[in-house]
Amino acid sequence: MTSDTGTIRFILNDRSVALDDVGATTTLLDHLRLARRLTGTKEGCAEGDCGACTVLVGRLAGDELVYEGVNACIRFVGSLHATHVVTVEHLAAKDGALHPVQQAMVDYHGSQCGFCTPGFVMSLYGLWLSKDRPGRADIEKALQGNLCRCTGYEPIVRAAEAVAEARPDAVFDPILAMRARVKTELKAMKTGATIAVGEGRRLVVPGTVEALAEVLDSHPQATIVAGSTDVGLWVTKQMREIAPVVFINGLDALQTIEETPEGVTLGAGVSYSAAYPLLSRLYPAFGRLIDRIGGDQVRNMGTIGGNVANGSPIGDTPPALIALGATLTLRSKKGSRSLPLQNFFIQYGRQDRQPGEFVESLFIPALAPDAHFSVYKISKRRDEDISALCGAFHLRLDADGKVKTLSIAFGGMAGTPKRASQTEAAMIGRLWTEETVALGQAALAKDFQPLTDWRASAAYRNLAAANLLTRFYLETRGEGCELTRFEGAA
Amino acid sequence: MLTNERRQVGRAMPRIDAPLKVTGRAAYAAEHSEPDMLHGAAVSATIARGRILEIDSRAAKAAFPGIAAIYTHENRPNAAWLDRSWQDETAPPGHTYRPLQNDRVLFDGQPVAFVVADSFENARDAAAMITVRYEVETPETDLTTKLAERYVPPKKRSGISPPPDPRGQPEEAFKEAHFRISGDYLIENEHHNPMELFATTVLYGADGVLAIHDKTQGSQNVQKFVCNVFSLSQDKVNVINAYVGGAFGSGLRPRHQLFFAVMASLDLKRSVKFEIARSDMFYLSYRPAMYQTVSLGADAQGRLTAVLHDTVQVTSRYEDYQEVVVNWSGLAYRCDNVALTYALTKLDAATPGDMRAPGAASGLFALESAMDELSYEVGIDPLELRRRNFVHFDQNENKQLTSKALRACYREGAARFGWERRQAKPRSMHEGHELIGWGMATGIWEAQLQSAKARVRMSANGQVIVQAAASDIGTGTYTILAQIAAEALDVPAEDVSVQIGQSDLPETSVEGGSWTAASSGSAVDAACLAIRQRLLDMAQKDDASPLKDATVEEVVIRDGHLRLDTDPRAGVAISELMARAGETAIEEEGKAGPDAKQMKSFASYTHSAVFVEVRVDEELGLARVTRVVSAVAAGRILNPKTARSQILGGVVMGLGMALHEESMIDHRSGRIMNHNLAEYHVPAHADIQDIDVHFVQEFDDKASPIGVKGLGEIGVCGVAAAVANAIFHATGKRIRHLPITIDKILGETVGKAA
Ligand SMILES: Cc1cc2nc3c(=O)[nH]c(=O)nc-3n(C[C@@H](O)[C@@H](O)[C@H](O)COP(=O)(O)OP(=O)(O)OC[C@H]3O[C@@H](n4cnc5c(N)ncnc54)[C@H](O)[C@@H]3O)c2cc1C
Ligand code: FES
Ligand code: FES
Repeated sequence: MTSDTGTIRFILNDRSVALDDVGATTTLLDHLRLARRLTGTKEGCAEGDCGACTVLVGRLAGDELVYEGVNACIRFVGSLHATHVVTVEHLAAKDGALHPVQQAMVDYHGSQCGFCTPGFVMSLYGLWLSKDRPGRADIEKALQGNLCRCTGYEPIVRAAEAVAEARPDAVFDPILAMRARVKTELKAMKTGATIAVGEGRRLVVPGTVEALAEVLDSHPQATIVAGSTDVGLWVTKQMREIAPVVFINGLDALQTIEETPEGVTLGAGVSYSAAYPLLSRLYPAFGRLIDRIGGDQVRNMGTIGGNVANGSPIGDTPPALIALGATLTLRSKKGSRSLPLQNFFIQYGRQDRQPGEFVESLFIPALAPDAHFSVYKISKRRDEDISALCGAFHLRLDADGKVKTLSIAFGGMAGTPKRASQTEAAMIGRLWTEETVALGQAALAKDFQPLTDWRASAAYRNLAAANLLTRFYLETRGEGCELTRFEGAA
Repeated sequence: MLTNERRQVGRAMPRIDAPLKVTGRAAYAAEHSEPDMLHGAAVSATIARGRILEIDSRAAKAAFPGIAAIYTHENRPNAAWLDRSWQDETAPPGHTYRPLQNDRVLFDGQPVAFVVADSFENARDAAAMITVRYEVETPETDLTTKLAERYVPPKKRSGISPPPDPRGQPEEAFKEAHFRISGDYLIENEHHNPMELFATTVLYGADGVLAIHDKTQGSQNVQKFVCNVFSLSQDKVNVINAYVGGAFGSGLRPRHQLFFAVMASLDLKRSVKFEIARSDMFYLSYRPAMYQTVSLGADAQGRLTAVLHDTVQVTSRYEDYQEVVVNWSGLAYRCDNVALTYALTKLDAATPGDMRAPGAASGLFALESAMDELSYEVGIDPLELRRRNFVHFDQNENKQLTSKALRACYREGAARFGWERRQAKPRSMHEGHELIGWGMATGIWEAQLQSAKARVRMSANGQVIVQAAASDIGTGTYTILAQIAAEALDVPAEDVSVQIGQSDLPETSVEGGSWTAASSGSAVDAACLAIRQRLLDMAQKDDASPLKDATVEEVVIRDGHLRLDTDPRAGVAISELMARAGETAIEEEGKAGPDAKQMKSFASYTHSAVFVEVRVDEELGLARVTRVVSAVAAGRILNPKTARSQILGGVVMGLGMALHEESMIDHRSGRIMNHNLAEYHVPAHADIQDIDVHFVQEFDDKASPIGVKGLGEIGVCGVAAAVANAIFHATGKRIRHLPITIDKILGETVGKAA
C-alpha cells in the first residue's frame, strides 16, 4: 500500500473537518449530536427506520456533485471521506429566512410535535435538489423513509406539492451557493491513497480495489462495509464488535454499471438508487421491487452487492436475481472467480465466500423478448417492511405454448433464498395452463417447508406462495393484478 | 364565551413554533447540555419474571475509567418509602414500580443497573459489558390463559368511572330479543411510539437547584413527583418541557429515565443526561391487551333491547391500571336493558398506560363491530341502525348532554363519502382483483375540563405575554393560547409571546384527555377578561370617561383602545390609561375548571362518524384503506389547521391499530420480540391515502367557557371498528382480533389457489 494517511476528511455544512482519531463504528448521528452539538438532526430509532436523522451527503460521481439523503444513525463517520455532509442547521439563510421547503412545512402545517420535522425537511430538500417538478409519485417516494406519528402525513405531502408546483427561488440555497468550492475540495480529498485510522488498522478506507484486496488478504476477519444498511444495525442494535472495518463505498471501480446486449454488470458498490434507472428499464418488475426496499435513504446507501453478500433468507433482491440467472464474481488478492448466484447461498448464515474474498460484481443476463418476468414482495406493511415472502418468476414458452424454461425463486420460504426446482420440474415441458399451474402448486411443498415467525405463519406462506404462482400465470395471460397505490405511482 | 368573534380565533393560523421546528432549533429534553456533564445508560432485564442473583460490573469498570457510578439494587441511594410519595397525578392504585428497589424482576426490560459515565458512548458500552445472572421464574404474559383469574379492581383509579350498575333486565331482554348477536373481541398491546425518545437532562445548579428538562406531558406533575420521591422542596426543582416530541399519553406518568437522571445528579452533584433507546421504550407503557364480549339484542325494527359488554383487561402484578372501556356501550345508543362489566387480570408485564383515547378506542372497537354485525342480522344499513338507536341523553349517568351534533356527523359524513351508493351485500363490490368494502362506526369521547390557571401580561405598547405551565406535545397549545389572547386583547396573534412548558408558571394539570385547549384556553380567556376589568376600573377613575357607567360586558378592546361595544367611537387608549395610572403593563391571572353545579345535570362528549373504504387482495390477504371520512362534532373549532391535524393524526393512529400495531410477545420467555420500528409497524405514508376531515357545526355553551370540547382523542375513536367492518363488507369475513394482519385475512379457509 502506498502513501497511507490516517485522516478522514469531509465537509460538514460550511466547514472542513479532518478527523484522525475517529472510532471504527462511530455513527454520523452520534458525531453530529454529541461531538458537534448539532442537535437539529434527531434520533428516533437508530436503525434506519424512521428518517428523523436524515441528512444529505454529497459526493463526486465522475465530475458531477450528487447529493443524497441518508440515515445518519447507521452511517459510519469512516465512510464519509471526501463527502459533503449537509444538516438541517445549514438550510435556513444566515438572516433566519427559511428555505422554501421549510416555509412550506410551516404554511401547510407539516409539523406538529416537530420531532420528525428536520428529517422530513431534509428529505424534501433532497427532492428539491434532484427534481425540478416532482409529481405525486416522486414525492411519495422521497418521503417513504420518514415516519411521523402526529400529522397523518397528508399535510407534509401538501407542503411538498406546494413547493413542487411553484418552485420559489431560494436565493441563498446553501448547496447551490457553494457548489464550486465543494467540488474543488472534494476532488482534493480524493487522492486514491488508502486511509488507516487507529491502532491495528481498525478502520481502513482503501484507495483502490487492489488495496482492498490487499487489506482483506492481511485481515481476512475484517468486516467489509458498503452502504452499512445491514452492518449499521449490527452495531447500533446488536452492539456487535466488528472492527477492523473496511469501507468500500468510496471505491469508484466498484460503482460501475455496464450494459451490453448480453446483460448488465453491476459493480458490488452500486446503490439501489444508482441501479434503479437501468434495472427498471430492462426488468420493470425489478424496478418496482426496488421501490419497496426501505426508503430513499436506505436505497441511496444500500447496495445490491451488500444485499447478496449479507446472505439473508429474506433479502429482496436474491430471488429476482436467481430467477434471472445472475452470476456473481468474487475477487481476492489471488484473482477472481464467478459462480451462479444460486450456488452462493449454501445454508442459513453460510455463503460461498472464502477468507479474503469480496464481491466484485454481479452479472444479470438480458431478458429475452418473449420472456415473462415478475417478482412479488409480500410484507405486512406495504412500505419500509421486510418481506414475509418474496417470489420471482421467469418464464419462456415455446411455439406450442409449452413451458420451455422456467425459473422460480423464493425468499422467506427457507433458510436461504432458494430456487423452486421441484416446482419448476413439475411444469417444464407442459402446456402453460391452469392445470399445469396446479401441478406446480402441488410440488411447492417438496421445495419448501417454511417456518412460522412474526412476519407470517407457515400456513400463510404456503398458501400465499401458491397464490403467487396463480398470480404470475394470470399476469402472463394479460391480467394485471398487482396492487397499485395511486394512478401512475409505483 | 369570548366577546369578540372576529379575526384571531377560528383562523387557520400556522403554528407559531413551526419555524423553530423546521430549522431544528426547537430543543427537546435530550438536547440541553453543559460542558463536562455525565451521561447515563441502563442495563435492561432479559427476563420477564424472576430474581437477580448477581450483577457483575467488574469488566465494565476496568474497561471504562470514565465511569462515575454504577447503580444497582444493592447500592441505590435512598428514596421515598411510602407508595403515596411515588404516586403522581395520574397513577393508578397499587404499589408504584420503583427502579432498583430490590432483586425482583417484574417485567421484561426492567432496568436492573444504571451506569453513569463521562460520555454517552462510554456509558452505553460499559452498560453492554455488565452481566447479570438471574433466577428465572415462569412468566405469565398471555391474556387468553388468564381470563379466569379476573377480578374487579377494589380501588378505583381517580378520574376513571367504573361501569354503572346494570339497568333493566339485560339477560332476559337479550334472551327474548328478536335479533341477537354475540361476539368475542381481542386486542393486543399497542405502543405509543412517539417519535421522540424518552429523555431527561438534569442540570445541576451551583446552588443545588435542579433544572430538569424532561419529556413529559406535565411539568408540574413531574416536579411534585421529584420533590416527593427525593424529599426536595419545590424551589429546588424546576421542570421544563418546552418542546415535547409527541407522547400520546406515554408522557403522563413520570418515567424511569427521570428517576435515574435525578437520582444520579443528586448523588454525584453533577449534571446528568439519560435518553433511553427505542427498544426500551416498549417496556415503558402500552395500550393494554383486552378480551371483550359484546351481546346485543334488538327488536324487529333493529331497536336495541339489550346491551351486554364485558371486558377483561391486562394489568401488571403491582398496579390496578384502569380505563373506561365498557361505559360507552351504555351511553352511545338508546337502550333500557344494559349490563356493563369490567375486570382486570394480572400478568408479568409493566403497568399499561393511557394511550390516545384510552378505553374508548378499545371499547368502541368491540361495540361498533357488534353494531355492524347486528345491522346484517337485522338486514338494514349499518348507518340506519345507528340512526334508529340515536339518543340525546346520557342513560348511564342520567344526565342531559351539553350538545350532540352526531346526527349531523352521520348526514354530512355519509354525503361526503357517498355512502348511499353502497351495495348492502358483502363481497358485492370489486374492481379487478380487488374486493372493495365500505364500513362505518361511531366515535365518542368525553369532553373534559381540568383546573388550569394562566397569567396574561399586556404592555402599554401592545405586547402580550401569556404564561401557563401547560404543555404542547404537538397539539398546538402555543398557537391556540396566542390566538385566544390575541382575540380577547385585539392584537395580532404574532405579537403574543406564549411561555409554557415550565413548572414555575401558573398551575396546570397534565396535558391529556383532550382537555388542554378547553381548560388552559378558558384560563387565558379569563385572564384577559380580568385585564379588561382592570382597564375599565382605570377608565372609570375619570368621571368624564364615556365608559363611566359601562360594565365589563359592555366594553371591548379594539385597536389598542377600551371601547363601548355598542358605540365603538366612545373609548380611551389603553396606553393613556396605563400612563395615567403610572403602569407600563397590566398583569392578571385567570382560572378555569370544572363547573360542579353544571356537572350535576350535564354530561359532555365529542362525537364522530367514521366512514372507511378498504380494498382487499384476498389471495394474499393484503388490505389497504383507500378512503376515510371523519366527520366530527367537537364544539367550537379554535384553529381549523391545528384541529384538522389532530383528527388526521388520530385517524392514522386508528388505522395502525386496525391493521398493524401490536407487541408480539414470546409467551415462553415473556419477552417482547418486535421492540423496534422495523417490526412494530406504525403507519407509514404509503398506508395513508385519502383522509377527509370534516367538522360539523356544533354550538355548545356549557362544555367549557369558550365553547371548546377538545380534539386530541376523538380522531382515533371508532376507526378500528370502521376498518374491520369495511373488511367484512369486502370479504364476508368478520375479524374480531386486532390487528387485522395478512394471515388473519387469508385465514385457513379463504384463498383457494385460483
Ligand atoms: C430501514 C431499512 C429497510 C430495509 N429494507 C429492506 C428491504 O425491504 N428489503 C431488503 O432486502 N433489504 C432491506 N434492508 C436491508 C438492505 O438495505 C441491505 O440488505 C442492503 O442491501 C445491504 O447493502 P449495504 O451496502 O448496505 O451492505 P452493508 O450493510 O454494508 O453490508 C452487508 C453485508 O454484506 C457484506 N458486504 C457488503 N459489500 C460486500 C462486498 N462487496 N463483498 C463482500 N461482502 C460485502 C458486509 O460485510 C455485510 O456482511 C433494509 C435496511 C434498512 C436499514
Ligand atoms: S434515527 Fe431513525 S432512521 Fe435514523
Ligand atoms: S410531527 Fe410529531 S412525529 Fe411528525
